[in-house]
Amino acid sequence: MSYDRYLDGDPVIVTAALTGGVHGKEAHPDLPETPAEIGRAAAAAEDAGAAVVHVHARRPNGERSFATERFQAIDDEIRERTDDVVIQHSTGGTGVPVEKRARPLRTDPAPEMASLDMGPLNRYDHLTSENTRATVDALHEEMAERGIKPELEVFNDGHRNEVYGLLDRREVADPVYATLIFGPGTLTRPTPRNFLTAVDDLPAGALFNTLGFGRHQLPFAAMGVLFGGHVRVGLEDNVYYRRGELAESNAQLVERVVDLAATLGRPVASPAQAREILGL
Amino acid sequence: MTCPHLEYRESDGEAAFETARAFCTVTGEFVQPMRADICNDRYDLDHAAHCEIYRDHEGEP
Repeated sequence: MSYDRYLDGDPVIVTAALTGGVHGKEAHPDLPETPAEIGRAAAAAEDAGAAVVHVHARRPNGERSFATERFQAIDDEIRERTDDVVIQHSTGGTGVPVEKRARPLRTDPAPEMASLDMGPLNRYDHLTSENTRATVDALHEEMAERGIKPELEVFNDGHRNEVYGLLDRREVADPVYATLIFGPGTLTRPTPRNFLTAVDDLPAGALFNTLGFGRHQLPFAAMGVLFGGHVRVGLEDNVYYRRGELAESNAQLVERVVDLAATLGRPVASPAQAREILGL
Repeated sequence: MTCPHLEYRESDGEAAFETARAFCTVTGEFVQPMRADICNDRYDLDHAAHCEIYRDHEGEP
């Protein structure tokens, strides 16, 4: 039972999703987009208590990039400005060939972690991020070859079937680490009951990360802390601090969830502890 | 072919950016970077098939 991890005082890993690939500075003027901005945001997030930073790469005008060189520039900035934070690259993409989506895995050194989307996700009115099983397997294979820990992104309830399917098809390194995602559209509907069902339905021994989009970020982070999971916050998933008030920064969102964990009596994992928990 | 309603602007009179960004002349707003991939017909994306703003403007369901 994951609640035992809370009672046992297991450390909670805070991931900061710094930039994303959907919205940009048109949604929040201080959302980090350039490698230097992302590096500075990573340092502030680490100082605030984040152990992991989840990053996407962008072109100078904020548009998505899958270029290895662009991820390399981001990683170089992060490593120069942070002490020990774990770097996690996104491999997500919509309408993007798998060969391009694998390029974020090819930096030197490789990222310690990378996201692996577990299935399809509708975008806008006429588009779907497909994430076929062949795509998932191809990305997983390259992660395994390079020693990269996959973060299994579970966008909805059906994707838990896909997690089990992946475990049947492939050797996924222990512990399995799944991010449970709640919000609008194709995501799991954001209710406490659905959260508990998702947690209870994970493979035995799996660890979970909790991601609520928009106004669901804080309450789902609270549930993640209480039920022995880990939490992800940041401007990729939510640009507001409270209704009608933009967050100041990624670090502000991290600080709030770190304070929340402290109030609830759960220690926050250092990057070294995160590596131990995740088997990096 | 990119969307005929796509422009790159540094400002719309309210927001201003150091680098010109994708702007939709139908909505009169800067577009999300992800949507800009559709505007530019990048990868396997096609504005005529995937953009509801273009399709609505052209009267397509």
